Amino acid sequence: MPRRSSLPVTFVVPTLAILLVLSMVPTLYAIVIALQNRELSATAYSWVWFSNFFDLFSDRRFLNAVWVSVKWEIVTVVATMVVAVGLGVLMFEVAGPRLRNLYCLLFIIPVLLPRVSAAFVWKFAYHPLYGIATYPYRLLTGGLIFDPLSKPGTALFAVASVDVWQWGLFFAVIVLKLLETLPPQPIEAARLDHAKRWQIHAYVTLPMLKAPLISLMFVKMIESLRSFDLIYVMTRGGPGVATETLDMYAFSQGFIESGKVSYASAMAVLMMIATVITFTMLWKRVQA
Amino acid sequence: MRPGRLIGRIVLAFAGFMAVFPLLWTALNALKNNVDIITRVPRLVFTPTLANISYIIGRDSVLTGLYNSVVACGSAVLIGVVLGLPAAYAVARYPNRWAGDIQFFVLSLRFLPPVAVAIPLMVIWLQVGLYDTLPALIITYSLLTISVIMWLAIPAFQGVPKEIEEAAFVDGYGAYSVFWRIALPVAARSLAGAVAFSFVLVWNEFLIALMLSSSNAKTLPIVASELSQQGMNVPWGILNASVVLLSLPPLLFLGVLSGFLNSVFRQKKT
Repeated sequence: MPRRSSLPVTFVVPTLAILLVLSMVPTLYAIVIALQNRELSATAYSWVWFSNFFDLFSDRRFLNAVWVSVKWEIVTVVATMVVAVGLGVLMFEVAGPRLRNLYCLLFIIPVLLPRVSAAFVWKFAYHPLYGIATYPYRLLTGGLIFDPLSKPGTALFAVASVDVWQWGLFFAVIVLKLLETLPPQPIEAARLDHAKRWQIHAYVTLPMLKAPLISLMFVKMIESLRSFDLIYVMTRGGPGVATETLDMYAFSQGFIESGKVSYASAMAVLMMIATVITFTMLWKRVQA
Repeated sequence: MRPGRLIGRIVLAFAGFMAVFPLLWTALNALKNNVDIITRVPRLVFTPTLANISYIIGRDSVLTGLYNSVVACGSAVLIGVVLGLPAAYAVARYPNRWAGDIQFFVLSLRFLPPVAVAIPLMVIWLQVGLYDTLPALIITYSLLTISVIMWLAIPAFQGVPKEIEEAAFVDGYGAYSVFWRIALPVAARSLAGAVAFSFVLVWNEFLIALMLSSSNAKTLPIVASELSQQGMNVPWGILNASVVLLSLPPLLFLGVLSGFLNSVFRQKKT
């Protein structure tokens, strides 16, 4: 590489400048809006400083949304990793090369679908009377009705299952590819010591893959923040507020129910601060 | 065969079935009349109809949505390629003490909650008179495409053997022509995967498009979700047909993306 060239400057500086403008302008403006009292219907506004934030902490629906978001994050991340590791190891153990290729192709399909499409596909499937996913239940119980999307206890899990359908299967492919990159010697050694198949994975292969698996979990944690499309199409936050995550609540405060843009923005700013701090800390730890 | 192995195969086959069956079922429903969809026992045998599909393709709102999606996503991806690839190359090949920070900054853009970006942008676009237009959507999506393409292209450029580039320098190539004539073509396959990925990402985007459009600039996902808001009065076959139409473009990239995955992990092995 030549030491003196203008290339790094001409290639990096304009792009970074544009990225900085495109990201910092909305971010800073979000904070500005959160400190005012703008509404969609009115053009006049004034500065109210932190009163939106104080209101949030006494808003029970907001606190519920925080709790739902935390539940969503935990359920989807854990379930995705379990499905991914389980299916990845299974493919590694019982499928030959050609079957593996076939499964890899099939397992990538759901994640490519637009979230809106995935949400529709499963909304139809979960329909209590005509859905294909509830059909086995109707068949076994002789026509009893099971409506997972309109029960507060099951709605979150029903929506989360779609997320896991998309990401768990996709990550299974990645886990398989990771297993394939491992050197065969430690596995052979464990086999010679009469280790059982599951023991080999629990004590040898998966610990060897600890670092990439943690990175994978990190990616999933970021992607799980984007739950809005699924929830918007499948339940609209309902029944009641059982599946109302923070972005869903911010959206309905800002645009559906009251048009309180500033209030919604205050919520978004809190989300932003929480995620940026959490993920920056996690990322530094993953890298270290 | 040991029983454990047999059970493993059955579980795997079931998972493979679950991966595609819901989608196939949707495609099947797109070919059904309403009476064949609304049945308590799912029907596999029915007289197919093309009415749903022709209804969807003939609707102005769907065509406008398709046009908006293609223009917005196509332009944003193009901007992402023009700005993202050179920057990624520079970070990969001319490392300095900021390289790590730049990479982290690009990744951290993904931490921003979409709703936190969409609310202020809506207010900004309203003020400058670009709300509900394609340029506003394209500029907003560029943030996504540039950062994603950059993030994925850095390892792709790092995967190009340094020796090839050094040989080109010895042959008297300048820094820019090495990028154009050597690095780009050699890394082309991985780069295509990165670009395809960014396209799928913006094609599937929903929240930002929902908040930045009210009538003129609606993208296909928004149009499709609106069809369902009319409740169950809309024949289900039509809804299913719109889901199929919306899902087809990303699936076209299935081959490119699975090839991209393979190449990423082959690199890791060596």
